[in-house]
Formats: sequence, structure tokens, C-alpha cells
Amino acid sequence: MFGKGLLTGLGITFKRMVGPNITEFYPEQKPNLPTRVRSSMGLDRSKCISCNMCAMACPNGVIKLTSEKDENNKKVLKSYHMDVGRCLFCGMCAEVCPTKALTVTQEYENSVYEPGDMQWDMIKRAERKGKVG
Amino acid sequence: MDALNNVFVNIAYAIRGLFADPQSVWANLVMSVINFIIVVVIVVLAALILILLERKVAGWTSQRPGPNRLGPRGWFQTIADALKLMGKEDITPAGADKFIFKVAPMIIFSLPMMTLAVIPYGSGMAPIDLDLGIFYFLAISAISTVAFVMAGWGSNNKYSLLGGMRAVAQMISYEIPLLFSLLGVVMITQSFNLGVIVQDQKNIPFILIQPLAFVIYIIAGMAELNRAPFDLVEADQEVVAGPFTEYSGLRWGLFFLGEYGNMTAVSALAATVFLGGWQGPGFFPGWVWFWMKVGVIIFFIMWARWTFPRIRIDHLMHLAWKVLLPLSILNIFLTGLGIYIYRLVMGG
Repeated sequence: MFGKGLLTGLGITFKRMVGPNITEFYPEQKPNLPTRVRSSMGLDRSKCISCNMCAMACPNGVIKLTSEKDENNKKVLKSYHMDVGRCLFCGMCAEVCPTKALTVTQEYENSVYEPGDMQWDMIKRAERKGKVG
Repeated sequence: MDALNNVFVNIAYAIRGLFADPQSVWANLVMSVINFIIVVVIVVLAALILILLERKVAGWTSQRPGPNRLGPRGWFQTIADALKLMGKEDITPAGADKFIFKVAPMIIFSLPMMTLAVIPYGSGMAPIDLDLGIFYFLAISAISTVAFVMAGWGSNNKYSLLGGMRAVAQMISYEIPLLFSLLGVVMITQSFNLGVIVQDQKNIPFILIQPLAFVIYIIAGMAELNRAPFDLVEADQEVVAGPFTEYSGLRWGLFFLGEYGNMTAVSALAATVFLGGWQGPGFFPGWVWFWMKVGVIIFFIMWARWTFPRIRIDHLMHLAWKVLLPLSILNIFLTGLGIYIYRLVMGG
């Protein structure tokens, strides 16, 4: 029939109209992120052995860490900085980490006001969040 | 129900009763002014509601809730929109034809007020009971073409001018099927008076007698309004915003109000001529029936806008001249044949 497609189209939009919305009201409702989302990094300081492999694996040179030796001649993490402005969240650092101290996490509210705030001090972040990973 | 039905008519009688001679010139003048104010309020209210409703319908068709920040579920959004428009700078382009540029939006905005003045909103509730109602309505709404060309020409912008030219081509083409589609009803009722046309639909609305004419009227009406899928005039990807390109602030707002006012007017005429106007089963007063029918048609026009993609310009002309016009002439012919047979059988 001539014009059948038009009626089909109207039918489809009407179904959409009476059907449920797919919008999530973000600030009021927190979204359910897919499991594969990579949006933040977390560090467990007690697990870290300061092997520097994460910094070597990083394609953009985001990670800078320093360490010092303790009385048992073991390396202890002193500082751990990430320049998140350059981070791709590719997760290679977390993949290469032998003790799984560094992990990719799903925190997504990472926006900041100043460019300088994108220099993450991972040790402080871990302490502030009160959680690891 | 009768009291509810006639509530506005009774108010009008009461106001007339305040004068020593209820039919004197002064009483008529005061009633005319009141009627005019009511029509203006109808146009402005309709525009305010429809702007929001359009965005809501757009949202619903794409599975969004639409505006949802200001007021309960976003229903006060129009207030924010209006305030934003008022706060904008009024820009007149350097090379513009200033008088024409400034007058065009006013003309657009005044047209729906003039057309809505002849619509019977209820039994005996036409602000102006005109014997040539349909004729007047179509003549006035045809003026909007001129206003679009004025806006396009006055802006001194090639896209505006292109849009204006498209407006002329499109609106004049669709004027003809629009007019012819109404002619069938006029042939049946033997009257141009919208009040008489509504009276004649007491038993059966004309959409059942003239279904083809109704379809042609809605399509041509959407084209007359320059709304999608016939929004060639303001096709953003091709001519920026057509005649509205150079307008800002309240002048642009007037175009916007005018568009929604015209949409109300076209829907009101469709409701009056084809859907029986204020006639309806008794459980609502007539004016409620009328606005419900208008609402249904407006919703359909919005629904179509957010469903269909824009038609190509050669297809647009093709549809008007090769499809709608022959169909409308066929409709007139069939109507005439029907009337002839009816008279032959009934011996009228």
C-alpha cells in the first residue's frame, strides 16, 4: 500500500512515546556502569613493592614513583604520582603489576577545576577514599 | 450542562447588560475589545504551552523525558525560555532593509490572532461570526508567505533570501490543495460560515464523509506551517535557519510564537471543519470538546514532525502538484457527484 511506511514510522515513534524512558537522571540517580568501564585508578600502598614496572609499561609516561629502602633492605613506596591529564586508562599498568597493588577502578566523577588538580597523588587519594582498589 | 455550555455566552450577555442599550455601538465596541483580548490570550497561551509540549513530544519519541529541571517535571521550562529570549540583544544586520526586517515578525505574529478570531469556540462563541469564515481564514493565512519573503529579503543574507524564496514556492503550492480540500465541505454545507459548518455536523462529523479531504488538509496544512517533514524553509543543514537566520531575541521569539499560533489556527480549522468543532457527546461542554479536538490534531502534527525526515524539495513540489492537487480535485468531483445523486434520490 502506498504510504504504508509512513504509518509504520508513526507506529514506531508512538511505541517509543508510551514506552519507558532510557534516560538516567544523573546527579540524582547514579548510573549502572558496564563492568568493562575503566575510568580511574586505585593504589593499595601496602601491596606495592615499588618495582616501577607500571611506570615502564605506561605508554604516556603518566606514572612517577619514588621509593626508599627500609632497615630490611626492602623497597618502600615513598611517593606515587599520576598525571591523569595524559592517562588513557588503557590499564597496562594494572595488567603488569605483579602484586595487583595498582588496579583500574570505576569512579567516574573525576572532573576538576584546575589543570594542576589532574596531578594525582595516589597515596593521598587512597587514604582520602578510605578504601583501596 | 447547559449552564456550563453557555457560561461564556452568559458572561458576554451580562457584560452587554451593563449598558443602557445592550446592542448600542459602545456595547459592541467593548465586546469587540474583550473578544480581541481573549483571542490574543489564546494565541499567547497556546504558544507558551505548545513550545514546551513540542520539546516534551520530541523527548518522548526519542525515549527521553524532555525538559525536566524547572518546576514539576519541567513544566515551567517555557518561563525560562521566555526570560532568556527577553535578555538577548536585539540585532539588526548592517545591510538590512530595516523597516521590512522589523515589520516581518510582527506580521507573522498578528496573523494567528486574525485567523483565530473567526473560529467558533463553542455554541455561539465565535469572536467574529463571519459569513465568509473559511474564505477569510485562508486569505489571511496566505499573507504569512509575504511575511516570510519580507524577513528573507530584509535580512540581507543569502540564506535568508533562499529560505524566503522556498517559503513562497512551498506555501503557494500547498495553498491550492488546502483550499480545494475544504471546498468539499463547503459544497455539502452550502456555506462558508464556520458556525453553520459546525451546526451541520450535529449527527456526523465531516471527517467520515470527506476522509480524503481531511488527509489532504492535514498534509497541506503541515506544509503551510513549514513544519517538518516540510520544513524546507528553515532547513538547518541547507539554509541555516532560512528567513530567521538574522533574527535574535524577541523578534525571533515572535516568529516562534507566530509559528505555534499558526499551528493552533490550522488545527482549530481542521477541528471545526472536519471533526465537528464544539459538537460532541454531552458529558463535556462544547468548548472543552473543541479544545480537545484541537489538541489531538496538534499532537498529531508534532508526532509527524518527530517521526519523518525532511522531504526533498523536488519531491515536495511533486507531492503538491502531482498528488495532492489531482486528489483534491477528484474529491471535489466525487462530492459533487454524491450531492447530485443524493438530490436525485431524495428529490431535493
